[in-house]
Amino acid sequence: MSAAATIQPPERRLSLLVTVLAFALPVIFVLVPLAIFLVYSFFSVDQGTIVYAPTLGNYVRFFTDPIFLPVFWNTIVLCLSVAVICILLAYPAAYFLTTLRGRWRYALLMLLLVPLLMSYVIKIYAIRSILGLNGFLNKALVALGILQQPSTLFVFNMNAILLTLSLLLIPFAILPIFLSLERIPQTLLRASDDLGASGLQTFLRITLPLSLPGVASAASFVFVLAIGDFLTPQMVGGISGFTFGRILYSQFGTAYNWPFGAALSVALAIVVICAILIGERFGRSRGTSI
Amino acid sequence: MSALPRPATIFLAAITTLVAVLLYSPLFVPIVSSFFTISHGDVDWSSPTLSTYRALAGNDDILAALRTTLIVGICTVILSVVSGTLLALYYHGRRSGRSILQFIIFLPFLMPPIISGLALLIFFREIGLERSLLTVVIGHTVFVLAIVYRTVLMRLQSMSRTLVEASYDLGATGWQTFWRIILPNLSSAMVGGAILAFALSFDETMITILVTGTQSTLPVRLWAMMRLGFSPDINALVALILMFTVLLCVLAARFLIPRQMAAERT
Repeated sequence: MSAAATIQPPERRLSLLVTVLAFALPVIFVLVPLAIFLVYSFFSVDQGTIVYAPTLGNYVRFFTDPIFLPVFWNTIVLCLSVAVICILLAYPAAYFLTTLRGRWRYALLMLLLVPLLMSYVIKIYAIRSILGLNGFLNKALVALGILQQPSTLFVFNMNAILLTLSLLLIPFAILPIFLSLERIPQTLLRASDDLGASGLQTFLRITLPLSLPGVASAASFVFVLAIGDFLTPQMVGGISGFTFGRILYSQFGTAYNWPFGAALSVALAIVVICAILIGERFGRSRGTSI
Repeated sequence: MSALPRPATIFLAAITTLVAVLLYSPLFVPIVSSFFTISHGDVDWSSPTLSTYRALAGNDDILAALRTTLIVGICTVILSVVSGTLLALYYHGRRSGRSILQFIIFLPFLMPPIISGLALLIFFREIGLERSLLTVVIGHTVFVLAIVYRTVLMRLQSMSRTLVEASYDLGATGWQTFWRIILPNLSSAMVGGAILAFALSFDETMITILVTGTQSTLPVRLWAMMRLGFSPDINALVALILMFTVLLCVLAARFLIPRQMAAERT
């Protein structure tokens, strides 16, 4: 007992300090700003100054103005397309990784994940130079005789945003799909084989359904990251590639309408939360049943 | 996986190669270009040169931005490792309230950076804090905290409880147990978390753009320069930054992966 008593004082002092810090930090720097942000969306702006009186005007404007809803919807479709492209490329790659043995499997996985940590801005810039009118892609297509002259199909428009975002986000799709494929018990595949199923049957009836949770998480990751990005559209979108993130960003810059920007962010946040919840729901339900 | 038929393997390998080429092409283009001069939009492939690297050394704007980035990164690492470790120690083994506060810690990482950044921007304005390097450091710390917290917590959870019990049995005080047993066991997770935090801070652009004052970090400076199109010495900078990030990746993997794999095997 006496030994326990000597342990107590410093432990208690430490835990008091830690308790204060543990609550203060997340609450002050995360919860409070987000709460203020939400409150701001109910304010308005009059001649460059913020009017601190509650109003639903921002939300009414979002739903009634002919500009915002279409862009919002187009951006959602764009980011869903990015998610689909990423999964179509990432699934075969992740599947290939699981067919490898031991060291090679993880070495190659690392190789495909390392580009994640490489400078984001620089990658966007490099992709822009690849897609550009004088870029490598156009030069290659002309050299191969596929195009007569450089095409403007992927320069400063929605296609450019689609391609750039897909290229940037593929690693985020590879990891969850790889993890879910790797978790599939080998015994199931062997049992399927023993029972006389062909490779394709085993894939369609066992591997694919069991890997769908990973696909769901991958889609949700990629979608959330794509829809939150305003740098890529700003850099490669040009005038015609206008996304919701850019509109949002402009409300805090040139338009200087912070309350309206906050209301647009709330709309974005709702979509993001839905995407995360859907990803969680489908990413988990089957995963736990194994 | 069971053995695949040969055509299927070739098909999968081809797609994997394509993905690797796609992922690495935006990294190789600037590196290769950095060794050649560009005139009138065309690369002169005939004579490799280091002139872009020399020009970079004379670019004061970029060097100042690099200095800012390093200062912000170091402050962010210190703040996030200290508070992330404290939070992990606090929440480890605690049930009540943990999931809610843990959720709050993860919010800035889950939310689009534009939302976290704007929320902080308005918050700083409301409390009267001028945009400066301090606001950038706060923004980065809030953003990377979840990573450090998770890294340390995972190590804590994989740590054997018997070590702590043995320490108490041998008559060590709480502080002694903390300094001699818990902290050394956490150190490699903390170092790994610190490297990841630094890498994330080094590259963070979207939050930084929103909360920065007159001094900008390297990614923000580059972003501003790229909108106008920039000089070839940036290719040299890109090459150097990429090498630096590879180094960070290797270091982070060294500190984080061996232990985790060992933990999986047991």
